[in-house]
Amino acid sequence: MSRKAMDLTKSVLSNLLVVLLIIFIAGPFIWVISASFQGESDLLKKPASIIPLNPIIDNYRYVFTGQIPESYLSKGQLRSRISQEARLIGPALKNSFTVAIIVLFINLLFATPAAYAFARLRWKFRGLFYNFFLGSRLLPAMAIAIPYYIIIKSLALIDTKLALILIDSALTIPFSIWFLTLYISNIPRDMEEAGLVDGGNNFQVLVYVVLPMIIPALVAASAFAFMTAYNEFLFANFLTKTIASHTVPVVISSISGNPDVSYSLISVCISLACVPPIILAITMRKWLTEGLSTTITFR
Amino acid sequence: MAIEQTIKKQSYRKKNRIFEGLYPFGSILPAAIIVLLFTIYPLIYAVRVSFYKNILTQPNSHPFIGLKNFSDVITSYYFKTSLINTSIYTLVVVAGVIVFGLVVATLLNTKIRSVGVLKIIILLPWAIPAVVAGLMWKWVLNSDFGILNSLLYSFGIIKSYIPFLGDPILARIALIIADIWKEGPLAAIFILSGLQLIPTELNEAARIDGGNGLSIFRHITLPLLRPILMVVLVYETMTAILTFDIVYVMTGGGPGDATSLLSWFAYAEIFKFLNLGGGVALAIIIALITLLLIILYLLALRTEDTVSGG
Repeated sequence: MSRKAMDLTKSVLSNLLVVLLIIFIAGPFIWVISASFQGESDLLKKPASIIPLNPIIDNYRYVFTGQIPESYLSKGQLRSRISQEARLIGPALKNSFTVAIIVLFINLLFATPAAYAFARLRWKFRGLFYNFFLGSRLLPAMAIAIPYYIIIKSLALIDTKLALILIDSALTIPFSIWFLTLYISNIPRDMEEAGLVDGGNNFQVLVYVVLPMIIPALVAASAFAFMTAYNEFLFANFLTKTIASHTVPVVISSISGNPDVSYSLISVCISLACVPPIILAITMRKWLTEGLSTTITFR
Repeated sequence: MAIEQTIKKQSYRKKNRIFEGLYPFGSILPAAIIVLLFTIYPLIYAVRVSFYKNILTQPNSHPFIGLKNFSDVITSYYFKTSLINTSIYTLVVVAGVIVFGLVVATLLNTKIRSVGVLKIIILLPWAIPAVVAGLMWKWVLNSDFGILNSLLYSFGIIKSYIPFLGDPILARIALIIADIWKEGPLAAIFILSGLQLIPTELNEAARIDGGNGLSIFRHITLPLLRPILMVVLVYETMTAILTFDIVYVMTGGGPGDATSLLSWFAYAEIFKFLNLGGGVALAIIIALITLLLIILYLLALRTEDTVSGG
């Protein structure tokens, strides 16, 4: 084979592989979104179509306004498959978003000064505390589930968003500290020393000199904290009792466990649940990659 | 006057020194309080409870039974089954995630035209909750209307719908694929950040010296990626051993006990059979296994460093 033909084959094969990967990655999303625009009767046809044949927005309208889609009214036996529970996805999104945003800010506020102290200052017990933070993540979730419940109960925080904020913060802060400590350790020290010579104290140097240099890492750490809090399921599942604090994963798993609920409505809920993470993943991609690469590729 | 000023200056300096000395502790205090609150007590509680008989339906009887919870767990049928399940699952998922990561990262690092789309969507599976990811795959594989069945049927590849999640082997494969889908993207981004650090001159020089793609990959790319692959390996092993959410929504440990992983077994022990002592003992065993693996990895990394003279 000539060189040119080989290059062409290679290019075709690589492109084919990329297309297959795109289908693999996007496929489940496309199917769920497509299903959310189909009526139950279309979905249960054999075979179902990936392109909605009679696209409807009734499922979304039901979730937001409570107006029952016509297709369900006409078919008697499908009537029961409308579940009120699907309408909880809206409030759940709000709960998840509130919890995740507050956890994000707690991480920035608490983990940044700690990371600076670990990366730059020489002090007694530094290693001890650093290892304590990292080690705390090795606690097995199942073993601490019940004690978490006891703590939250004694604080009278069962079924509150505050309980989730506290727990998600405890779960995310160690990672943020580790991540930011590595990042700060890798940036050149000269600027900070100049700041200290000019008479600034450690706090001023952190705020005016270090912070502007670690913005990519702060953005990446924020995104990680937000997503961990938004995605957390195990603890949220048994520390929340009502929609006052139910988060998205809790509501979704509960809806899908209901044998009576319509597939279209679950698809609507799943599609809506994906909106915040998708926006975050697409807009934050460059920052995440940059933050990650700087942190993990230096020692 | 001069003396007074000196004294003032000294006391200011002293104050300053105390401030400097306490500053690091102040810096970590808020973070430490939150993490301590959810670490020390749960740890003591967990260790304590694992030494007592503690069945939630018998609230007034908690005799000390020493290591019996541990021995009961280890000798149980479910432990053996879930240990085998988890070992196979972890091995395949970690290998799959690393291969997926390497392939995707290598493609993302090229200038192929179609790569742009892949770049935009690659992080989506990683960003969504595991519960949602599990459900999406359950929907794709659904035996009534799942799109995979529909597509295979339309193309005439199958004659009747396959209940993917109803068959032990297929359910295991489905779970593994869903997990690679969920975890692979982050590994790809990690590995990509490593690839981008390898100077292009190095690859060009090797090509001029007559190296082909595969030998360049083996002798240049792979050794330079080793530190990052180690991070990915440790992280993905931990994640795979602790897999729970995706099992919870996708298969519920079934069919039978085909996809009962260790974490699922610990969950069932505590929340279904209400055997707190046994479940927590199992959770501690899982944590010890994870810790042991991480130490082994780190030791392997260290020996490699010494051997290669780094």
